[in-house]
Amino acid sequence: MKVTYYPGCDLYTKAKILNDSIIKTFRAVGIELVELANWYCCGTTFTLARDNKMSLIAPLRILAKVRQTNGSVLVPCSICFNTLKRANFIFKQDPETLKILNEHLGENYDAQAEIIHPFQFIFEHKDDFRKGVKRQLENLKLGCYYGCYLLRPQEELEFDDPEAPTIMEDFVHLIGARPISFPLKVECCGSYLIVNSPEAALEASYRILKNARENGVDALVTSCPVCHYNLDNFQTRITNLHPDHQPIPVFYFSQVMAMAFGLPVEDWGLEYNKVSPKKLLEEKKIL
Amino acid sequence: MRKLSRDEDFILRIQEISQQNIADCYQCGRCTAGCPFAEFMDEPPNRIIRYLQLGLKDEVLKAQGPWFCAACLVCETRCPRGVDIPRIMEAVRTIHLRSKEQLLDIDRIDKKILEEAHPLVLMSALYKYSY
Ligand code: SF4
Ligand code: SF4
Repeated sequence: MKVTYYPGCDLYTKAKILNDSIIKTFRAVGIELVELANWYCCGTTFTLARDNKMSLIAPLRILAKVRQTNGSVLVPCSICFNTLKRANFIFKQDPETLKILNEHLGENYDAQAEIIHPFQFIFEHKDDFRKGVKRQLENLKLGCYYGCYLLRPQEELEFDDPEAPTIMEDFVHLIGARPISFPLKVECCGSYLIVNSPEAALEASYRILKNARENGVDALVTSCPVCHYNLDNFQTRITNLHPDHQPIPVFYFSQVMAMAFGLPVEDWGLEYNKVSPKKLLEEKKIL
Repeated sequence: MRKLSRDEDFILRIQEISQQNIADCYQCGRCTAGCPFAEFMDEPPNRIIRYLQLGLKDEVLKAQGPWFCAACLVCETRCPRGVDIPRIMEAVRTIHLRSKEQLLDIDRIDKKILEEAHPLVLMSALYKYSY
């Protein structure tokens, strides 16, 4: 089966391991991800100023291309997913804005593109993915960290319960590892505040990691490159601020899927993780 | 006693940018209680809204609170009155940014972050702190 795929900028650069491991794990269960031709950056974080139409231009062009391709697109990056879904919500609800943008851009977009996150896709094809599992990871306790962009606002994303989501736990369970829910799994990691107010972002990340640790997780799983960056990249700085901090590896969900599917260890992308998961995986007899 | 003057144009401008009705808020404080960044804010979300209800433009524009809003939308999810607070925070920032105040200065960004950060993070920050 061929599926149209939108990687977005981050998956081409700093989150390359997310890109590579999704392509390889999907291929392992017979799904070929075909990149949307000539895609653009989605514009990143969705603007909340309602009088700003500029930020809708990139999403409209991307979604018009999706319509011309096969109508639906798989989007793994949580921010791209959020931005495209929110823009499409406006296109559906506000025909006036859609018309202005279509005329301005010379497009004829009808607001009917379907934007799908890998977790949703995996559950639509759960038997295939279950059959892909070749290795037992039941000793690995994975904290399911959602962050913001997959969940909120619920009425626009229609993804999962924003306060008590379960789709990631179901995913971890499906690939045979042990999901752990912890209270701060839906709390913000600090997002772009890391650039302008790092002290606030580091504090937010510290609280999340601590809460996960207190609930017995071995490692965290996420699908968002920004959450991954904030939670994985700064743990040395967090330890300097909070000497009680104990480092926790943070995986992209597709890295764990690569382990479960028995792909060669080079495809797990472990060298990408700033907090090395090697010792943990050896202890659990996975490496 | 300090004299407070109500600035109607300012309220209308915020309501236009955010498409929110400031009067909907009944000051329960749930937004502030759940905000992960409230402790960093001089004026937390509910107080920004209260100042807006009172039309206190200077108080709102002086506040640093809106710059610590990560648009995480936890408060939007929990507000019993359906107020989309992050849109109001964005409207306050937008008014500053469109008057070219508080623009993110790239020279001020931590060098290590500038080198290592994902493009997504830098673009989001530039998006939120410029116009
Ligand atoms: S949660 Fe809503 S109603 Fe309560 S103080 Fe905040 S904005 Fe006002
Ligand atoms: S959206 Fe902004 S104000 Fe609301 S909880 Fe998140 S950081 Fe706080």
